[in-house]
Amino acid sequence: MLKEILLQVEKPARYIGNEINMVKKNPDDVDIRIAFCFPDVYEVGMSHLGLQILYYFFNRRVDTYCERCFAPWYDMEEKMRENNIPLFALETGDALNKFDFVAFTLQYEMSYTNIINMLNLAGIPVWSAERGEDDPIVIAGGPCAYNPEPLADMIDVFYIGEGEVSYDEFLDLYRDMKKAGCTKAEFLEKCLKIEGIYVPKFYDVKYKENGEIESFTPNHPDAPKTIKKVIVKDMDTAFYPDKQLVPLIETVHDRVTLEVFRGCIRGCRFCQAGYVYRPVREKSCDKLLGLADSLLKNSGHEEISLTSLSTGDYRSFSELANGLIDRYAKDSVSISLPSLRIDAFSLDLMEKVQAVRKSGLTFAPEAGTQRLRDVINKGITEEEILNGCALAFSGGWTRVKLYFMVGLPTETDEDLLGIVKLSNAIVEKFFEIPKEERKGRPISVTVSSACFVPKPFTPFQWTAQSTVEEFMRKQKFVKTSMTRKQVKYNYHEPELSSLEGVLARGDRRVGKVLYRAWELGAKFDSWNELFKYDVWMQAFKDTGISKEFYANRERSYDEILPWDHISIGVSKEFFIKEMERAKAETVTPNCRKQCSGCGAAQFGGGVCFE
Amino acid sequence: MNSGEVVNNNIKYRIEFSKTDRMVYIGHLDLMKLFHRTFKKADIPIGYSWGFNPHQLTIFAVPLALGVSSVGEVLDIQLTEKMDCDEIKDRLNQSLPDGISVLQVIELEFSAKSCASAVSYADYCVTLDDKYQDIQNVVNEIMVAKEINIERTVKKKTKTVNIRPLIKSIAVDNEGGKTEIYTNIATGSQGNLKIDVLLEYIYEKLGAEFRFEKTDILRCTLYTDNKGELLPLCLEEEFM
Repeated sequence: MLKEILLQVEKPARYIGNEINMVKKNPDDVDIRIAFCFPDVYEVGMSHLGLQILYYFFNRRVDTYCERCFAPWYDMEEKMRENNIPLFALETGDALNKFDFVAFTLQYEMSYTNIINMLNLAGIPVWSAERGEDDPIVIAGGPCAYNPEPLADMIDVFYIGEGEVSYDEFLDLYRDMKKAGCTKAEFLEKCLKIEGIYVPKFYDVKYKENGEIESFTPNHPDAPKTIKKVIVKDMDTAFYPDKQLVPLIETVHDRVTLEVFRGCIRGCRFCQAGYVYRPVREKSCDKLLGLADSLLKNSGHEEISLTSLSTGDYRSFSELANGLIDRYAKDSVSISLPSLRIDAFSLDLMEKVQAVRKSGLTFAPEAGTQRLRDVINKGITEEEILNGCALAFSGGWTRVKLYFMVGLPTETDEDLLGIVKLSNAIVEKFFEIPKEERKGRPISVTVSSACFVPKPFTPFQWTAQSTVEEFMRKQKFVKTSMTRKQVKYNYHEPELSSLEGVLARGDRRVGKVLYRAWELGAKFDSWNELFKYDVWMQAFKDTGISKEFYANRERSYDEILPWDHISIGVSKEFFIKEMERAKAETVTPNCRKQCSGCGAAQFGGGVCFE
Repeated sequence: MNSGEVVNNNIKYRIEFSKTDRMVYIGHLDLMKLFHRTFKKADIPIGYSWGFNPHQLTIFAVPLALGVSSVGEVLDIQLTEKMDCDEIKDRLNQSLPDGISVLQVIELEFSAKSCASAVSYADYCVTLDDKYQDIQNVVNEIMVAKEINIERTVKKKTKTVNIRPLIKSIAVDNEGGKTEIYTNIATGSQGNLKIDVLLEYIYEKLGAEFRFEKTDILRCTLYTDNKGELLPLCLEEEFM
């Protein structure tokens, strides 16, 4: 039956596993079965580094078999439902409801309806309270787990922090209790003592009449009042796989991914990743070169990519980059260097790694004026951008991409006009080059503007998000202000960002909207062609939950926020201070220049002790 | 790692491999990519072409459609240095996923035609979705026909093609629960008949609907036409 179905769907290889370096175990030989679920389509999920790390991390345990599962594309889902085929894991093809754990990674809010859909397809009750002893324990982790509340009634256990730290203890406990004949309910109580573990059912929320949270309290003696994230202290000794799953079909990124460091020293005030992964912890250059070698050997990939939030900030960057070039340039292995600041050094490097093709240059000024860039603490100046472009133009690059956000706190029309001015200035920089040196190539500047979404654990967590109408006006304003034909302006649909705003800062009540939207047919919301805004609006209406309350309302500093029981190690006082500095248009120096006392030093490692 | 040296000497090998089970769900381009990675992973000193974007020197005989199994696919490779055939086979099989197996590796003559230009016929074994009593009659009609003209639409243009000369033989086994047919048809650049086109025609004559997903198709052997005699592209050294 499965064969017949696979021959009727698009890209059947999404559902067969069998990739190079897939782990094969006999399920009868293990005590614990985990289905690692990525709530998006195969090609997206397989490009995700966290999956690659945790897959081998879990599977290095002889008592555990970790398999993978992705959201089936809608054509496959239709066939599965028609033929009563439950959602299955790729390795064994076994249905998910046979597993001990079904573990979701939360990478972006707009994947949440896929989680509901996957549970439903697996025949697992969506609400935790409706699951019994025969159902798997549903866990979730990843960056969006830092505000777990919208999913709190559907997920049994949230893991707060980096997987390498507490999962062994968690699984050891589970195995021992399972062998001792304990129930899953008993396990959920026992695991409360493990660091980084949050079990939502052991907490009660009360709301005020105005909708704000009145209290959030543990209802179990072992449930900690705050759950502190767990992180790897020493990246060189932490587990990292020496191989990667190599997909059989083309995915978003078909390459070896080398994680250079975690965290970011920059402190851009809109960026959640910049705070939740603090402090910066680097891998040593020797370690990375060694890993590169085994990863390339074991995968057969022809591309290697350095990854981190800001690769140019790696202290041994030139040593690493040149080391890779020296070793692999002759082996037809290409090296990809994302997240670079453009200066003479990085241009020289890019020249070396992409000897032939000169792909576009990308800058992310995020805001159009220096004033607003100071507000958001984006430490890049117009001068730096223009100098970078001038260097690049004389080196033969002619395509520039610029990323901005609209709807940033304190933004005025003048800041929006700044987007136009900066784009024009770049074009003019190009025309400063003598005509004969331009070699007839035209300049093209592509400007993209995203809609700002305030996120938990950032200084902007209290701010109101622009409404859909405001976003539209702003984008139209930028568009109509554009004057040069060399500049192309793209912008995102604000509806999606607006919903992301609700889910990002939502509380437990938002789970009802999610569920209702799914019932009405929402899934793959991050896929433009499948996103149904009207369905979501209907879901708000049906549940009586106000979208504006979550997205467009400014919070006061003393309001209890839905994620206040989670600690990322950066203090609320620091965020308040940063918000005030933002209002005062004051820049905060990066972690290497000066410590600003955010609180992350309590983890006892990384940049705080360099 | 392999060195990206350009080959000047002609060290050529021919690989025969199978593609079965879960691997039938990957298409030709993905299969090529898989082999390219496997040569690197298995540390086979594969040669690279000259040019700005050097590519591995590999030639596949003829693409296999997604969903079709095979126990006789053929691929030619050029290496930068000589290797023992069994060594190539073993190393590849250690790296290839289940469902793709190298069956044999032979060294090619310097002047040998590439598998892609040599291939001219292929054997297929097809298990139909049901048992059809009429099958022998339909096959007999096909075999005695002088011309079988069918309409083919390629790139919005419809043209009539006579497929009869492209069919060398069809045999039927109707003993089991489902009808099986064995056929030898033209395959390659000199003349090519897609197996599903033939099956569609047979089903039409049977008065039934051809459903690709309900049919098991196995490609068995690829042949080259040696002055009228069909020889397997990858001729086994010890013929039993």
